[in-house]
Amino acid sequence: MDENVIKIENLAKYFDGRCVLDGINLKVPQGCIYGLLGRNGAGKTTIIRILLGLEPATRGQTFLLDTESASLSPKVRGRIGCVAEGHNLIQNYKVSRLIKLCKDLSLQWNDEFFRLLIDTFNLPTDRRVRELSMGMRAQLNLALAMAIDPELLILDDPTLGLDTVARRQFLKLAIGLIQQKDRTILFCSHILSDVERIADRVGILAAGKLVVDCPLEELKERVKKLRVIFPESAPQNLYLTEMINQETQGREMVITVANWNRQKQAILETFKPSSCTEVPMSLEDIFIECTRPDSNSTES
Amino acid sequence: MLALIKREIRDHIVYFIAAAICSAIFIAMGLETVHEYNPRNPPVFPIGIGISLAAIVTAGICAMGATQMYFDKTRRVSALLSTRPVSRSMILLARIIAGLLAILTLLAPIAVATTILLRLFTPPIPMYSGLVWEIFTATFLLAFACYCIGLQTGWNTNALTPTLGALGLTCIFVPLILIKGPGLQIVVILQLFITASLVRTWNKFLSTPL
Amino acid sequence: MKSSTSYSLKVFATGFIVLTLLSIPLFWLRSLCQTAIAELMPREIKSVDISPSGLVPPELENDPNVAQHSRVGASINSEVPSSIGLADYFITRLPGASRSNVYLASSDEAWMYFDKNLGQIVHQYDEKSTMPDNSTLRKIIRFYIGPKGISELPDEKLGRFFDPILDGNWIVRRWEKAKPRELILYDKKLRCFFRIDFDQRTVVKGPEVKKGFPNDHPIQIGRLYKNEFSLDLNWSAPHIKVPRKDADRTDLQANINDSFSIRLAATLKDADRTDLQANIKPIIPTGFWSDSGPYLLVLDETGRIELLDRETLELAGSAGWLPGPRSYFYSEQSQKPKDLLAYEVQALTLRTHYFENPEEVITTFGDTLYNFARQPSRVDKEYLGMFAASVSRDGTALVLTVFDKESKRITTEHTKLSTNVSRPSEYLHSSKAAFWRAPWAPVSTIGKYLAENLHPPILSLASYFTASVFEAGSGHRALFLLPNSFVAMVGRDSRGNFAERFASALWWILPSIVLAAWLAYWVSKDAVVVGLSGKARFYWIIGTIAFGLTGYITYRLTRPKITLVTCANCGKPRRPDMDKCHRCGSGWQVPELIPPAWRVLNGTEQVPDSSTADAEQAVPE
Repeated sequence: MDENVIKIENLAKYFDGRCVLDGINLKVPQGCIYGLLGRNGAGKTTIIRILLGLEPATRGQTFLLDTESASLSPKVRGRIGCVAEGHNLIQNYKVSRLIKLCKDLSLQWNDEFFRLLIDTFNLPTDRRVRELSMGMRAQLNLALAMAIDPELLILDDPTLGLDTVARRQFLKLAIGLIQQKDRTILFCSHILSDVERIADRVGILAAGKLVVDCPLEELKERVKKLRVIFPESAPQNLYLTEMINQETQGREMVITVANWNRQKQAILETFKPSSCTEVPMSLEDIFIECTRPDSNSTES
Repeated sequence: MLALIKREIRDHIVYFIAAAICSAIFIAMGLETVHEYNPRNPPVFPIGIGISLAAIVTAGICAMGATQMYFDKTRRVSALLSTRPVSRSMILLARIIAGLLAILTLLAPIAVATTILLRLFTPPIPMYSGLVWEIFTATFLLAFACYCIGLQTGWNTNALTPTLGALGLTCIFVPLILIKGPGLQIVVILQLFITASLVRTWNKFLSTPL
Repeated sequence: MKSSTSYSLKVFATGFIVLTLLSIPLFWLRSLCQTAIAELMPREIKSVDISPSGLVPPELENDPNVAQHSRVGASINSEVPSSIGLADYFITRLPGASRSNVYLASSDEAWMYFDKNLGQIVHQYDEKSTMPDNSTLRKIIRFYIGPKGISELPDEKLGRFFDPILDGNWIVRRWEKAKPRELILYDKKLRCFFRIDFDQRTVVKGPEVKKGFPNDHPIQIGRLYKNEFSLDLNWSAPHIKVPRKDADRTDLQANINDSFSIRLAATLKDADRTDLQANIKPIIPTGFWSDSGPYLLVLDETGRIELLDRETLELAGSAGWLPGPRSYFYSEQSQKPKDLLAYEVQALTLRTHYFENPEEVITTFGDTLYNFARQPSRVDKEYLGMFAASVSRDGTALVLTVFDKESKRITTEHTKLSTNVSRPSEYLHSSKAAFWRAPWAPVSTIGKYLAENLHPPILSLASYFTASVFEAGSGHRALFLLPNSFVAMVGRDSRGNFAERFASALWWILPSIVLAAWLAYWVSKDAVVVGLSGKARFYWIIGTIAFGLTGYITYRLTRPKITLVTCANCGKPRRPDMDKCHRCGSGWQVPELIPPAWRVLNGTEQVPDSSTADAEQAVPE
C-alpha cells in the first residue's frame, strides 16, 4: 500500500464556469495530521467533498487509501470517518434512530467508545436531530465518525459550533486517536490555535492554488517576518524574491519573506540596514500574511 | 443492504399503507362485482371506479419514486449515507427494492384474490388463467415504469418540477396500455423502458454532486 | 473508455425513453386524424345496397304482391373499439373469442374448451329431462373429443387435436342455448375435417386436404367474419303487402326478428288486391344467422371460399371469394383476409319443411331458430348462394358481392360518392372521397400526414419495408412502426420496380427528412461548441437524421452540461474538463485567479512552477 493515504493530482474544479481550484497537488502520508487552511471560499470544503466522492472533479484525480475517490468501495468507506461541513445529518430522525442506522451500516463499531462519547458530550438520544443545537449536532457527528474506529479521519471544521470545553474535549480525543498507530487525520478549521496545537503538516489554499504544503515547524522556519530599520529612509528599490508582504514607514520596513535563506540575507545586507530583527509569528500570523488580499502576486 | 431497505420502507411507510388500502378496496370491489354478476347485464360501475382508482394508484406510485428522490436531495440523505460504508449503487438499489415492494404490496393481493375468485366463481376450466397472468405482468411492469419516471424526475430541489414533471410524463405514458393492451408486446416495451429509465437514473445518481 | 461506454449507454437509454414518450402522443394524433377521416365519411359512401339480391328464386322475387324486393346491404361502422389494444385484447381473448381456447362458457355447468395438454376438446353441458312423476332430472354430461372418437372420460385412445378450428355458427348457437347436433371442425396440423355427432357419439374424419390444392390453408369455417364491430352485413327477404284483415293472422305473422314461417303465396292467391293495405311483411322471414344448408363455408388464407360437404367432409367446389375493395392506394385492393380490415360472409339457404300432411310445406330461409307447434318430418335445404362484404385496410372503402350457387359473381357494388347528380355514372370511389372530399377530410388527411412525418424517418422507412407483415386491424396498435401510414401503403404497392417504389416512399416522408436534416445541422453546430469529438459529432449527426425530433431531444438531454469558459489563448469557449482547449490545443491559464508568486512546498526548496517563472526579480546591486 502506498504510504500516502491521501493523494490529489492536478485537481481542478469549476463551478458554473468559475474556477475554484486550479491544479492542486497534495499528498498526506500515513500517520500525519494535516491541517488544510484557507479563507472562506478558498476551496477547502470542495477538496474534502471531492475526496469523499460527494462532488466530481472537473479535472484531475484524487485518491483515498489507494482508491480513486469516484469509485470508493464500501469496504474502503468503512475505514474512513468523516465530519462534513454543516453536520449534514437526517434532520427528522430521532438521534437513537440515526445511531442505529449508522451502527447497522458500519463494518465495525466500537459501542463502548461510542457510549463514552455520548455520555461525555451528554447527548440526548430521544430527541430529533433538528431539535439539537448546532454544537450538539457537531458532537453527535464527531461521535458517529469516531465510533467506527477509522484509519482515516476527515474533518471539515469539526469544532464549528462547539463551546470551549467541547472543543478542548475534541482536541483531546483527536490526540488520543492519532496516538494509535497508523491513524491519519485531515482537517480544516478556522481556529488556527487548534490547528497549531495538533497538526503535523499544514496546507494553505489561496487563489485556487496550494501555496503552502509543508510541516508546521518548517513553515515557521521558512516564512520570516523581519523588521528592518535603515539609517535614512527605507530604500524603495529593495526587492527580494518570494516576498510575501512589504510595508514601509519612514526608516522602518517590515517584510515577510518565504523560503528565507542566506542569499536573501545577503541581498538585504547590501542595503546596509541599521538593524534587522525577526518578528516571531504564530501560525495565525503566517496565515494572515499568506492570505492577505494585497499579498504579492504574480503580476505585481 | 437490509438496513438501507428498512430505512427506505420506514421513511415511506405511508405509501405502503396506501398500497395496502388500495389493494383492499380493489379486492372489495371484486367481491362486490362477483356477488352481483349477471352475465346478461354485467355491472359497468366497477369498471369506471376501477379505472379511476388505477389512475390514482399509478400517480401514487410515480409520486413515491419522485418523493424518494426529492427528499433524498433536500434532506441530503445520500450525502450522509455516502460517508458510511455504502456505495451510491447500494443506496439506489435499496430505494428501488423498496419501490418494488410497495408495488407488490398493492398488486400481489389483488392477483391472488382474483385468482381465488375466478377459481370459485367460474367454471372449472382454464378460462382466465392466461389472462390473469398477462394482465398482472403488464400492470406490474407499468406500475414499475411509472415508479421509474418518478425516480428520474424527483432529483430536484424545486418541489414543483418533480410534481409536474412526474404527473405529466405519467399521463403521457400510462395510456400505452390502452394502445397496446396486455400481452407480449407491451411486456417487451415496458421492460426496455424500465431498463432505460434505471440506466439513466443510475447514471445521474452516481455522477451528481451530493 | 469507461466514460465513453457510460455515455453511450446513457444516450441509448435516453433515446429509447424519448422515443417511447414521443411516440405515444403522436399515436393519439394519428389516431385522431384517422378516426376523423372515418367518422366524417358521408353516410352515402359508408354503405352499399344490392336490391334485388339475385339469390331469391324468381317465383318469390317476382311475385306480383312483392312490394319490396330482397335486399342485401353492408355498411362501415366506426372501428374505434378494435383500434385500442386494450379493447382488442379483451374482445379477442374472452371465452368464445377468436384467440381463446374456451369456445363457450355459458354457465358453471355448460362449457367447452380445447385442452392443449390432452389435445382434446372437452365439452360439458346439462340436460333436463322430465321423469314419470313430472319431476325434472338434471344431468351433467361431459365429453372428451379427439380425432378418433368421443368419450365421457379422458382417454389417450381418442387421439390428439393440435390446432382445431371450429364451426363458428355452431358455437354461436350453443351460446344461445340451442343444441345443434353436429359439430364440424378442421385441424390445421392434421389437415382434415371432422364431424362430431353428439347424439350418436361419433367422430367422423374426412379426407386429408392435399397441399397445393386450392384452399389448402383454411383459416375459418362456418361463420366467416373479421372485426365484427367494423362492418354490418344485413339481409332482407322480399316483402309483400298483406290485406288488413290478414294483418294479425299468426300464420301470416311476420315479425322480422322471429322465425315463424308462413304459408306460401297459395294463401295469398285469394287475396283481394283492391283490398291491399300498406302493411308490408316479408314473404319469408329469416333469422340473423344464415345457414349454408348442406354445405359449410370454408375460408382460405388467400381469400377463396369453398363449400364443404357436411356429409362427406370433402370440399365440394368454390363458393366465391372475398371481394377486394377499391382503395385510394392500389396496394389496399387486396382480397386476402390478412389485408382486409373487416369482412363478413353470409350464405343463403332455402329450407323446405315437410309435415305429415303433405300439403303442408313450409319454406324458410335462415337457420334453425324456428318454433313450430309440431316437428317437421323432413327438412330439405337448398344452398342458394352467398354474399360477401369486405372493408379495405384503411377503412375507407367497402365492397359487397353476391355469388350464386355456382360461385358465379352476380353483382358487385363498391362504395362511391356521386359527383354529378345529373350524371350518375360520374362518381368518385369512397376511399378518395374519404380522404379529400368529405367535410374536413383534407384537414384530417394532412394532419395524419404531418403526424406521420414527425415520426423518426428511419422508422418510417422500416414501416415501408415491413408493411406487408402486419395484418390489417392489428396495425392500429403499432407504436414505433406505422403499418397504416401513407408510406406503408406505398410499401404494399406491388407495381413498379424497387427503385421506383423506394423513391416514392422517400417522397412521402420528405418533410420528415427535411426536418431531420435541419435538426442535425443545429446538433452539429452545438456539438462543436460543447467540444464533442469528431467521431461523436458524426454519430450524432447520423442519429439525428435517422431519428429526427427524437434524436434532437435526446441530444439536448444528454449533451455535456458543463459551463464553458473562455480560453485565454484563442478567446473561444472551451470545456473546463478537458486538459487542452479543443479548438486551439492550448493548456490552462486562469487569468481571473491571481495566486502569489511564492510557494512553500514539501519541506524542501520550492518547486518552481509556471506561475512563478515570470516573477523572478533581478537582485539589485
